[in-house]
Amino acid sequence: MSLIEVKDLYKIYSEGEENEVRALNGVSLSIDYGEFVAIIGASGSGKSTMMNILGCLDVPTRGEYLLDGVSIRERTDRELSQLRSRRISFIFQGYNLIPSLNVWQNVALPLTYQGISLGERRVRAMEALKKVDIVTKAESRPAQLSGGQQQRVAIARAMATGSPILMADEPTGALDSRTGAQVLELLRECNNQGATVILITHDNSIAARADRIIRVMDGKIVSDDTASHVKLAKAAGEMIQ
Amino acid sequence: MSAIAMALDAIREKKSRSFLTMLGIIIGVTAVLVLVAMVTGYNSDLTSYYEKLGVNKVKISITYYNDTRIVDLTDALYQYGNKDLGDVVTGVSPSTTSSVTLKYQDDNLDTTVYLGSDQFSTCNNYTLEQGRDISQVDISQRSNVCLLGSYTTEYLFGYANPIGKTVSINGVPFTVVGTYYQKDGTTEDSMDDMVVVPYSSCRALLGTDILDSYVFKVDTSKNMSAVITKVKAFLAENLSEMVGEYTVENGNSDMAKSNEETASLSAVLGGVAAIALLVGGIGIMNIMLVTVTERTREIGIKKAIGAPRREIIIQFLVESGVLSGMGGLIGVALGYLLSLILGKALYDLIILPEVWMSAAAFAFSIAIGVGFGLYPAVKASALQPVEALRAE
Repeated sequence: MSLIEVKDLYKIYSEGEENEVRALNGVSLSIDYGEFVAIIGASGSGKSTMMNILGCLDVPTRGEYLLDGVSIRERTDRELSQLRSRRISFIFQGYNLIPSLNVWQNVALPLTYQGISLGERRVRAMEALKKVDIVTKAESRPAQLSGGQQQRVAIARAMATGSPILMADEPTGALDSRTGAQVLELLRECNNQGATVILITHDNSIAARADRIIRVMDGKIVSDDTASHVKLAKAAGEMIQ
Repeated sequence: MSAIAMALDAIREKKSRSFLTMLGIIIGVTAVLVLVAMVTGYNSDLTSYYEKLGVNKVKISITYYNDTRIVDLTDALYQYGNKDLGDVVTGVSPSTTSSVTLKYQDDNLDTTVYLGSDQFSTCNNYTLEQGRDISQVDISQRSNVCLLGSYTTEYLFGYANPIGKTVSINGVPFTVVGTYYQKDGTTEDSMDDMVVVPYSSCRALLGTDILDSYVFKVDTSKNMSAVITKVKAFLAENLSEMVGEYTVENGNSDMAKSNEETASLSAVLGGVAAIALLVGGIGIMNIMLVTVTERTREIGIKKAIGAPRREIIIQFLVESGVLSGMGGLIGVALGYLLSLILGKALYDLIILPEVWMSAAAFAFSIAIGVGFGLYPAVKASALQPVEALRAE
């Protein structure tokens, strides 16, 4: 059983009308536990729509999506909330921090929905902030931080939940290349610790950091390659054996 | 962080808007409390007016068809009330009045003269302050004596002792034998602005013998209807249909009628105020709709990181509940304050809104806030996370 199993997925806006848009036009793929996958495509290719559906933020028009072997259509609203709370964490291009809460409260917020006590939430938020090296800003408001710092807070928020799936939608899109590299480093670290990472990007050089690259165009998958360094490592492993 | 603390934060962040939202509720609650309290004040004012006039009075009024065929019923009614109905009737007096000019030395006063029996003060709730009341001797001897109300006394005599002094009523000299205590504020045109003389001096004073109205004072209100029936029977027997006709009224019915009127007034004003409260509730709904629209992105973020629908609904419900609850509390406080101030100013009474009324208005304002807050909260929580996130 794969972690994510998608068959013939369609997302169609204004179906049957003149301005019909097929954001996803028959997509099938599967992703295993512990993979580091990049989904790459130009803007409007459908890659974000794909992530939204994979992350249970949106529903497909047609097609089957099994998460942990269970169809998403069979899940109730409450179960979907629990999935978003315990199984999947997001890192967005626009950070999506809540401006009225300070940094550690932002990081601790998803833990509220897991029913964790206030004291424990604070401890775990601080641990996560330490991991992304921004613990000194714990009492600041998001607006007082730079873009790179805000994105690190968002990553801390994703890490604090302990979710096994991390979805990042253009996480470096608003950052300079140096801070962007730091963010990718953090994602790699999460993957090394066992998290499945799905990275959405339009940038080949960023996609190249992943183990597997899925290329999307006009709502369809046009290629699905394992990265050369992974192939090399595999081959090397076989040779040693 | 508890939901209430979060709601307080959200309210604090938008102080002026939160205040404007609350304003509707504040005005509504205050209006309900103050209007109802003022009606209560008005009512107790009226009640005390009627009590000063004297309660449990049977009022008789006779219309004579022809001056020449007058049968004077004054003695007969007096005897009937005091003897036949003596168990339940405590006093009988004519209640005919006339406007007169009262003069003492150089002071003139236009006032009202009452033509009374020796039971006049009992019938009309006057209490003797100095001197003596009208006696039966005064009546039988047609003595030119009079008693003054507190306003008349003060106006003509100031601090001097009026007893034994001679005043003139419409030019006829009368000796002051007594004065009454203040019972209605000692002001012009009040019940204290009066003079009373023995009814037998009617002819000397007014040039006529016509006494056409009488009062029977009854001991308790439950005996009123029995007395009315008997008085009617007495009049039917003693007043020929050829001579005149009569009406017998229950004096308490004026009070009962005015009580009914204030009750309906209270209902109407309460209704108006309730509408104000409802409008306040709609104001809360508006603000919650705007707030939800503004914060759709926040809702999207919260849903994306796992907030269940229930959590979002509770967040907005608590926010609108706290908002309207604060409005309700301020409204109740203002209602008490204004009731006190207005009650003192208008009726010279300490009027406070009733506790159950305040509790009801407060509960109602919370219910309105929560009720109207529910709709936008439900609407917002039903969004797909991605739709909510897309909002700017």
